[in-house]
Amino acid sequence: MEFKYVGKNIARPDAAAKVTGRVQFIDDLRLPGLLHAAFLWPPYAHAKILSIDTSEAEKCEGVVKVVTGKDITFRYGENIKDRLPLAVGKVRWIGEPLAAVIAENVYQARQAVKKIKAEYEQLPVYVDARDAMKEGAALIHEESGTFEHLPGMEAVPGTNIAGRYTLKKGDVEKGFREAEVILEGEFNYPFGSCSALEPHGAIAWFHEDSTIEIWSSSICPFIVREDVARVYRLPVSAVRVHIPELGGCFGYKSDVTIEQTVAYIASFVPGRPVKWVATRKEDLLSTLIGHGMRTRIKIGAKKDGTLTALKTTILHSTGASKDTGIHVLIASTHNSTGAYEFPHCQLEGISVYTNTPPVGAYRGYGHQESQFAMERMMDILARKLTMDPFVLREKNYLGPGKTTSLGEKLWESNGNVRKCADTVKDIVFSKPRKVKEDDRYYYGRGFAALMKSPKGASFSSKSCYLKFNADGSVSINMGGAEVGQGLRTVVRQVAAETLKISPEKIAVYTEIDTQFSPWEWQTIGSMFTIQGGRAIIRACEKAIAQMKRTASQVLRVDEDRLVYDGECIYLNHDPSVKVAVSQLARGYTYDDGVTVGEVVHTTADARLPRQSNPDACGQGTMGITYTFGAQGCEIRIEKKTGKVFIDHFVSCFDIGKVINPRQLRGQVTGGAMMAIGATLHEELKFTPDGQAVNPHFSTYRFPTIEDAPKKWTVEFVETPEFIGPYGARGIGEHPVIGVAPSILNAIYDAIGVDFHEIPVTPEKIMQALVGEGKK
Amino acid sequence: MGQKVTFMVNGSQRSVELDGWERLIDVLREKLNLTGTKRGCDDASCGACVVVVDGVAQRSCVYPASKMEGKKIVTIEGISNGTKLHPIQEAMIEAGAVQCGYCIPGIVMELYARFANKPDASEEEIVEALSRHLCRCTGYEAILEGATLAQKKMSAGRK
Repeated sequence: MEFKYVGKNIARPDAAAKVTGRVQFIDDLRLPGLLHAAFLWPPYAHAKILSIDTSEAEKCEGVVKVVTGKDITFRYGENIKDRLPLAVGKVRWIGEPLAAVIAENVYQARQAVKKIKAEYEQLPVYVDARDAMKEGAALIHEESGTFEHLPGMEAVPGTNIAGRYTLKKGDVEKGFREAEVILEGEFNYPFGSCSALEPHGAIAWFHEDSTIEIWSSSICPFIVREDVARVYRLPVSAVRVHIPELGGCFGYKSDVTIEQTVAYIASFVPGRPVKWVATRKEDLLSTLIGHGMRTRIKIGAKKDGTLTALKTTILHSTGASKDTGIHVLIASTHNSTGAYEFPHCQLEGISVYTNTPPVGAYRGYGHQESQFAMERMMDILARKLTMDPFVLREKNYLGPGKTTSLGEKLWESNGNVRKCADTVKDIVFSKPRKVKEDDRYYYGRGFAALMKSPKGASFSSKSCYLKFNADGSVSINMGGAEVGQGLRTVVRQVAAETLKISPEKIAVYTEIDTQFSPWEWQTIGSMFTIQGGRAIIRACEKAIAQMKRTASQVLRVDEDRLVYDGECIYLNHDPSVKVAVSQLARGYTYDDGVTVGEVVHTTADARLPRQSNPDACGQGTMGITYTFGAQGCEIRIEKKTGKVFIDHFVSCFDIGKVINPRQLRGQVTGGAMMAIGATLHEELKFTPDGQAVNPHFSTYRFPTIEDAPKKWTVEFVETPEFIGPYGARGIGEHPVIGVAPSILNAIYDAIGVDFHEIPVTPEKIMQALVGEGKK
Repeated sequence: MGQKVTFMVNGSQRSVELDGWERLIDVLREKLNLTGTKRGCDDASCGACVVVVDGVAQRSCVYPASKMEGKKIVTIEGISNGTKLHPIQEAMIEAGAVQCGYCIPGIVMELYARFANKPDASEEEIVEALSRHLCRCTGYEAILEGATLAQKKMSAGRK
């Protein structure tokens, strides 16, 4: 098939507005009577609140209202209702808000917060799941076990175990009996922050007519709307949520979090909008953080490298709420096989409450944590078997006819990991290595294969509203959140290709408003292109069919004899018998004014086909498609400092179909860079008593241009996926998955040291070099 | 209370009354409604708020408003002319350096000062300027490409 717009570097429709600073992010909105909020944060990570005295704060200049949690009667959460808008009775982590000041400006609000006096009684603090789940540990949620939740998320009452997910495939004991080699390892992926450059924020406005209006830097307006309506006992239609421009997301602006807090405090000042935008410290400690996963893994294999069994146990320090972390854990657990088929699996994820910020979505959604373990283990197992690690992997790759841990049999259309791996192998490993070390550096090369499963909900859908204008141009509205990934460009390209009109004639929505935007579950899981793209194609095809219906009346022929070419609809064997699209967009008007046919506007949606809930064995169907890929790198380690330099980072994904090469490259380099940060620098650290060690960008080591690889190579394999638009699959999260293991495998190659946790900082490398006698 | 400062912003003379707590970013965003300048951190480490003051790239989040008196300030709103974008802005778009758009105004203003002071800055000097800016989206490849493309465009424009 020849493509006119798909596969081309079509320009972003939003670029000019962004590069001039003209787009409006949440903090740029100006509303009449806007009030500003600031919060009191606790000095302890786990403590009873004995008293809160707000009297001095109330007297401060500009203060309109001071709110505490004392009258709160509801909890919220999408999966389990274990969250509170403000602390009630006790505080459970250092970033849990316990009182708010609402004032005329933000400076006044912050000054007044300092006047609030609170007394506490400290409780034992747990920042690691291993400590929180010990017998006799103080309970972080005394009421755990009584919270309302979705099925399969039961906590263990009387403990800090917030939930368990167990998956059984085959007979794992049999698998280990068949094994000739058994290898065990434990790997840690510590806390990190998505740290979009725009901090999270929200505005809530309780109107005089008992409706609520909310603006949020969120990617799930429809979930926010439903949850706020539930709490305030309003029809869902009485809550209106707007999403302005988003300055990055990477996961943590999903789910309902700060919106419930801002709405709660705004309910005390009806008639006026209240805004809260996080400072960077607040963004790091009071929204959602990532990871906190310790993966224990046991692999059984035959001497020839055939894998026989996998046992995985993941301990998740989920923070003070498991609502947003439980699905990350489930995804991490069933994806711990990586890109390999294991006939027998027993995979378990244990979610444990800790006195740390709640863990939520982070680009990769659990995949990078457990596949870090798997891909390191593959290299270590190959050494133990004295096999080439590529040969070991090739023997076991998932592919057509093989089954995943979930019991899903894969098709060819799910993608080709072998092709991706061969591409990376050719680029990184085909040339003989120049030197292993010189005066200043050790040199190493590393590899990792990867698999990304979809992640959704069975009812989830993405919708498209399409409107033909009088001149044949088109306006499209959808509910997908543009966070920078470039989905507006994808909308334009897919619609232009299907409607056979130029992209410039297609206007794409710039904001989401639940009053006008078609419903979308939420923009997560790297699924907009594949799922949203299918919805666009369906809406376009419906519009073409509508126009053909009208044209068949005008031209007095059957619809199936008509051809659409973007400008006209014409008779298949005689193109001179035709009617212009512009004459059909609002129905066809004859010379005498009589009008026939419909206004051309359509809606369509696309679900996750066959998506099912986990069965009693934890297995099921994820819907949509899997994606495979591989990553590799060439690194240098400076002998004097232990600093790792990435000379070349290579990624290859089976993308199905490249829609926009430049945007795809930007997604891959950006995603890989985030994971390079996590691998070598970034860790959100807490002291044993739950205090934040590095809650600012000056100390949370976010990578700069100086940390970027000297060279990037980004390649794609195109095995068409039938569900996606023109065969395309998603890409947003995938580039983070294989980064840590490929770099740590390269570090082993360079200096012969196996690291089991990240970040591998220069200090850790220097210590290891001393230990190896190399220093 | 009530110090008045008078300065030039994007070619216009402006005066504002200060309450005393404001930094340059607060004056620009809250008093002059110039919201193109962004706040991304709380300790002058992300570069999103960079504007140009008397020809020098400055982090407006730590620049005291009281020092604005008599200064010539250029913000992201001041470098394009109607629909005619500045070559740095054009280059950033062409290189695919724009993703979420939050870091871009600060980076554009950093380069605006960099190239005004040294049109033939070396790649090392450009990287040094860009190293004061955080971008979470791009991995920096496209931003560096955009910066070198901008330099070429500006150099061609002078010939």
